Amino acid sequence: MTEPVRAAPDDSTLVRVRGLTTVLNGKTIFDKLELDIPRGKVTAIMGPSGTGKTTLLKHITGQMRPDAGQILVGGKNVPELSREELYKLREGIGYLFQNSALLTDFSVFENVAFPLRQHTKLPEVLLRNVVLLKLQAVGLRGAAELMPNELSGGMARRVALARAIVFDPMLILYDEPFVGLDPVALNQVLKLIRTLNETLGITSVLVAHEIEAVKQVADHVFLIANGKVVAQGDPKTIANDGSAWTRQFFGGGADGPVPFQYPAGDYGQALGFSGAAK
Amino acid sequence: MSVRPVQSSNVLTGSLAQIGNCGLFLLTLLAAIPRSFRYVRETLRQLWFVGAMSLTIIMVCGLFVGMVLMLQLYHVLSIFGGTSASGMVVALSVYRELGPVVTALLFAGRAGTSITAEIGLMRATDQIDAMEMMAVDPIAYVATPRFLAGLIAMPLLCCVFCAMSVLGGHLVGVTWLGIDNGTFWSNMTAVVDLHTDIVNGVLLKSLAFGAVVSLIAVYQGFTTPPTSEGVAYATTRTVVASSIAILALDFVLTAFLM
Amino acid sequence: MSQPRNSYAVGTGLFIVLGFAALVYLATQTTSVANVHQGSSYTVDTHFANIGQLKERAPVKIAGVRIGQVQSITLQPGAEVADVKLAIDKNYDKIPLDSVATIFTSGLLGDQYVGIVYGTSKKTVAEGGTLALTKPAEQLEDMLGKFFGAGGMADNLGGTYTVTADFTNVGTLSAGAAVKMAGVPIGSVQSVVADPVKLDAKVTLAIDNRYNQIPDDSSAAVFTSGLIGAQFVAIQPGGSPDALKNGDEMVLTQSAMQLEDLIGKFLVNGSSSDQKNAGNGTSPGKSSSDKPSSPTPTGKQ
Repeated sequence: MTEPVRAAPDDSTLVRVRGLTTVLNGKTIFDKLELDIPRGKVTAIMGPSGTGKTTLLKHITGQMRPDAGQILVGGKNVPELSREELYKLREGIGYLFQNSALLTDFSVFENVAFPLRQHTKLPEVLLRNVVLLKLQAVGLRGAAELMPNELSGGMARRVALARAIVFDPMLILYDEPFVGLDPVALNQVLKLIRTLNETLGITSVLVAHEIEAVKQVADHVFLIANGKVVAQGDPKTIANDGSAWTRQFFGGGADGPVPFQYPAGDYGQALGFSGAAK
Repeated sequence: MSVRPVQSSNVLTGSLAQIGNCGLFLLTLLAAIPRSFRYVRETLRQLWFVGAMSLTIIMVCGLFVGMVLMLQLYHVLSIFGGTSASGMVVALSVYRELGPVVTALLFAGRAGTSITAEIGLMRATDQIDAMEMMAVDPIAYVATPRFLAGLIAMPLLCCVFCAMSVLGGHLVGVTWLGIDNGTFWSNMTAVVDLHTDIVNGVLLKSLAFGAVVSLIAVYQGFTTPPTSEGVAYATTRTVVASSIAILALDFVLTAFLM
Repeated sequence: MSQPRNSYAVGTGLFIVLGFAALVYLATQTTSVANVHQGSSYTVDTHFANIGQLKERAPVKIAGVRIGQVQSITLQPGAEVADVKLAIDKNYDKIPLDSVATIFTSGLLGDQYVGIVYGTSKKTVAEGGTLALTKPAEQLEDMLGKFFGAGGMADNLGGTYTVTADFTNVGTLSAGAAVKMAGVPIGSVQSVVADPVKLDAKVTLAIDNRYNQIPDDSSAAVFTSGLIGAQFVAIQPGGSPDALKNGDEMVLTQSAMQLEDLIGKFLVNGSSSDQKNAGNGTSPGKSSSDKPSSPTPTGKQ
């Protein structure tokens, strides 16, 4: 399944974003964004809420088409792919949804088996072994017969992860993998991301807010704000690069380049003082 | 997703856009039929949910419709001494109008709403996106099987409904009110025509209604805003739009087929 | 994992089979291609000159009791009579060979059925046998149409004079009903009261002054417009030189007929031929059948 990737011209970069511009409902999400995601590393994409980090992931998988620009995944420009090519590409990409997105009709086992059933004609015995192997990897082999509504949030996310890696993808995209997890579950997910990256060499991209968690797991961090990459680098050093963005984001300031106030008209006028004071 | 909710301030252009989008969605559905052949199992599973699970309500309602029709007709026709025609009138009215229409209305309430709610919730919980990401076409895997299942289930349900109505009419007319059994059947068989009543009335109408109801249900499910509020609203709209479409289409079909 | 799938498949299969079974049921049992479901029976051939509205699967009755049904109705090319096969329950296998098969109508608008009136022969009809004696269906409309003229209500005319008539039975005649002569409205019924002495119905007729030359030996009859229409009083002119005057009583009256009785008479006694003037001589009201029943005014003053 990783075949399309091998043909990549530049071996060290798996995802290359060039001049990405997206306008959603009149709001500019990306303004000529440039981004390189290195192969075989864990890359974190951070940024204030509403900067379109999830949108970026959707651009990478071709779920959304940008207004302009190129997104090269393994050398293929995603926005120009046909449906079949896109589906072919997606078989090599695992995607972990924020809310796990398990199919509620199916048991845990069938959820993990779903991509295999849809794309292969594996004999039942082999399919069972593959699924149990993946469930074992996330530590949930014993939960194979449970239904998704019987799982806790952390377990559901691990099942979703097992489903995302069932095809041994070249790239896994994690959309907010740490949200809503207790410290134990968070550490389990952290460990899994790290293990998957180290043992299988899977390129991982994660969108997250949890600075501590990102520092532990990521090799490289992009900080996106106002549609551009405002800072990037090693997670341990990026906080000290001196820009106002990083200072506010990593230092946790309430006001700064990311304004506390949502853009609005004059306050005094809104309260009916008819601009007299100013 | 290729399907997006329509937003328009004007009611007229809004509904026109809804109809237009619905038509485009139908084309998408039909185009996905070849791709959904590999999900035959899913179609069968949906046939179970929308068809077999609707059987009870359809059978009970069919029985009662036949019974009450017979009761009413008997009392009116007894004025003219024409009670022996009541079985025939029950059969004709059920085959031509009541059977397809009532079945479709029940189907919209029973199966249409559950289709809309299910797809809406699948969207709200990212299951549709997850399928996209697993390179499974949600149109071919989710939408088309449900559409086809509705298309197949409606005529079958309608046949069951009509049969139950005739039996209900027989129960009341022959067993209770004492219409002669042979007269009941002979009048019916003499008037009911296989082509105009069974094929055009029962089968063709119910097929058309099945297509419309399942199209609306699937469309509403796919275009609903992925929130719990949106799903609730879309479910209501499925029933309202289906009912209007069924009755309007019924008039058009009757005008053309009669 | 395949267990739930199989149960879906079985349930879905059952649903499909049930749906198609219902379709087959509708198509075969309730349409014209239906087959006759019978118990143990034997068939008897009959030939009718006219079967009227008789249908396949219509009942066959003796003394009003159902003993079987009509199995088939065919017309051989070149033949003048319809072949009607009767499927009769095996329990009733003692039907005399000279029994008469007649096509009756249940009620006024009801369905037609085959009634068998027993003959006297010692021989009984067997499987495949033929009942040679038959009476065809009467065209009720033809017969009834001869009795009753029908027309609109009388105009509200200027002056009227009243005459009375006694009926033993007025049927459902009520005040306001039309009074007609030759089918043309000439007045209306003013009142219908029971006479406490003579114990019959005293009907007061208000007749338009223009029609003041009605012979005093004319008769009045209560008729019905059409098959199920309203009742009215028909006046049949007599031959007396003297005319009816205000307050006179009409002596010759004909009460309302119970249509069922009347038709019963026809079906039993009516002509065995299929001629147009069937019902000849059984009707006191026959004279009116010579007149056109349309409400065209005759112009007579």
